[in-house]
Amino acid sequence: MSIININNISKRFGATQAVDQLSFQVQPGEIFGLLGPNGAGKTTCIRMVLDIFEPDSGEIQIMGGPMTDEKKNRIGYLPEERGLYQDIPLSRCLTFLASLKGLPEKSIGAKLDEYLKLFELYEVKDKKVKELSKGMQQKAQLIATLIHDPELVIIDEPFAALDPINVQMVKDILEEKRSEGKAIIMSTHQMNQAEELCDRILLINHGHQVLYGTLQDIQTQFASQDVLVTSLSPLPETIVGVKDIRQVNGRDLLVLAEETQPNQVLKQLINQGIEITAFEIAIPPLNEIFIQVVKKQAEEQDA
Amino acid sequence: MHKTWKIIKHEYTRHVFKKRFLFSLLSLPILVIAMAFIVIAMAFFTVETAPIGYIDQPGFLKDTTPVKIKGNIFEPIIEFIPYVDVKQAQSDLEAKIIQAYYVIPEDFPKNRNVGLIYLKAPSNDAQYQFMELVRKNIDVVQKMDPSVLARLQRGNVFTIVALDGSREMRQDQWFLIFLPIVAGITFIIVVLTSGGYLLQAVVEEKENRTMEIVITSVTPRQLMVGKTLGNIGVGLTQLVVWLIFLWIGISIAGKIWPVLHSITIPSYMFLIMALLFLPAFAMVAGIMSTIGGIMTEVREAQQISGVFSMLVTIPFYAITPIMMNPNSTLAIILSYFPLSAPITVMLRLALTTIPIWQIALIILMLVISAILSMWFAGRVFRMGMLQYGKRLSFRQLFGKQEAA
Repeated sequence: MSIININNISKRFGATQAVDQLSFQVQPGEIFGLLGPNGAGKTTCIRMVLDIFEPDSGEIQIMGGPMTDEKKNRIGYLPEERGLYQDIPLSRCLTFLASLKGLPEKSIGAKLDEYLKLFELYEVKDKKVKELSKGMQQKAQLIATLIHDPELVIIDEPFAALDPINVQMVKDILEEKRSEGKAIIMSTHQMNQAEELCDRILLINHGHQVLYGTLQDIQTQFASQDVLVTSLSPLPETIVGVKDIRQVNGRDLLVLAEETQPNQVLKQLINQGIEITAFEIAIPPLNEIFIQVVKKQAEEQDA
Repeated sequence: MHKTWKIIKHEYTRHVFKKRFLFSLLSLPILVIAMAFIVIAMAFFTVETAPIGYIDQPGFLKDTTPVKIKGNIFEPIIEFIPYVDVKQAQSDLEAKIIQAYYVIPEDFPKNRNVGLIYLKAPSNDAQYQFMELVRKNIDVVQKMDPSVLARLQRGNVFTIVALDGSREMRQDQWFLIFLPIVAGITFIIVVLTSGGYLLQAVVEEKENRTMEIVITSVTPRQLMVGKTLGNIGVGLTQLVVWLIFLWIGISIAGKIWPVLHSITIPSYMFLIMALLFLPAFAMVAGIMSTIGGIMTEVREAQQISGVFSMLVTIPFYAITPIMMNPNSTLAIILSYFPLSAPITVMLRLALTTIPIWQIALIILMLVISAILSMWFAGRVFRMGMLQYGKRLSFRQLFGKQEAA
């Protein structure tokens, strides 16, 4: 059963159609990427899922039905606009937010200490939130999102303001949550992170669905007739069926002619005695797909 | 309800356990205690406690046991010392052994005239003590029925009764005039304190960007009700603490001036006060919450709320014309304006008879204003809660458009 089932939802603010006929599902045990340029309608979509806004039309089912107070306790949310109560000690702020998620006050203390130690914030737990650095506040916000062990985690730009070590730690936590069967919706502009973590993505632009599916399917859909080759000996200057050879990150990118099949090129190279250590279809990075799709839409709109 | 309670507790404790709040909470009682100490210290150094002499030429005072049994620092028991001749008394007066001396002349039983010689006039209480001493030695007084004597000693007490008998005012209940003033000041302090905290709490929620997390755990209604009640609780705590200090103060003062024990405040005063102040409290809370929902910064919101605070306090600016003529057009207009109504009505009530239908109408108006104000605050709160760094427009406030 899908943890989220969205069917044809639309939302308009005055003259702006923020979300238009959007449908998607999120399954337990997956990281789902909600991607799109600024103003695409991602936050509005998330806010409708969380019952902050009501859609003008369409249906949203969370954990098998409409949102309830009890279901809210099973969701963790890290909004794009980060915020914590600035004028109170960190531990008190997090205890309050955890208690609003239905955690019994007796069990909060031990759990909070565990998370504070994991995120290296234990030493500063008695400091006022406003005295903490931006990165520390970001980590504290992640604790508020995860402390009640939610079944559904919705995070908007989870890596913003984090150093590489903490980025890796958050990635590990998200992967661990996925392996525990939790569903994670991640909205981000960092395509490399989405590419690394997401199982499926939904790309939206101007409130419309642009791409939807598994990452692999989408990348294959956008894959060109190119191959990446790593070899111990240099490649010949001309290869039959290859239009162009370029260097990409120390590897050779072979641009194939339309009728050429990759296995024909591989056979040729082996026959010529080239010592090949890697030969793979050049999958376009998500970032490239993102730019390509958004630009194409903009051009279509201008036209 | 459980989550609303958590928000109430959070809002309440984050203010009440702050040094700033404790300081403002205790500053008034400390100020009053300090002033009381100054008054007592001044009394200690200025109240004359020296004995008073008397020369009883006709030997009139047979019973010279003191009349006053219990004294205090402001009105001590004065010792009366008999002198045989004026010369000795005058010498002791100049030597400041006594503060004054009375001369009861030979013809006193006939003329009832007594002479008082002093360098600085003794206090009224000291003179009263001597008069009582003389009075109890008069034959007629000694033979009089004690209840009649008590009536005579108390003198006249006038009671003014309204023509329709709806209310009355006793001459010795003059302090009832001060009740609405004290109640009004207390109301203003409590309402503006709570309102100020509520305003701050709503704007800060937007400023801190915490709103979006909280409303994914609770409903906007729970959040708003929790915030409102939590901050009203802060104001009420202040009121209760001050009332406790006031009660302690009156109890202590009652030991010094027993007359304070006879103070009775009519119950209808309390009832009208509660019926006026409670909806007014809710109305101001709604207004403050609305301002907080519209504005984006605490300072900006405080400036706007200052205008409304001034409207609440306007009857105090116009206290002289209201008290001079409590049924004037100005007083009636201010009674029907929701923000100024509670204090104006209380001030008028102290000095005039307001028809019951008029009081009922004003209370009804306040209840309706409170409901409208809370409803509008809820609407603004839902609209403005996710509009960070941007004020709600006039169109959004009164139109159908939702804030993105």
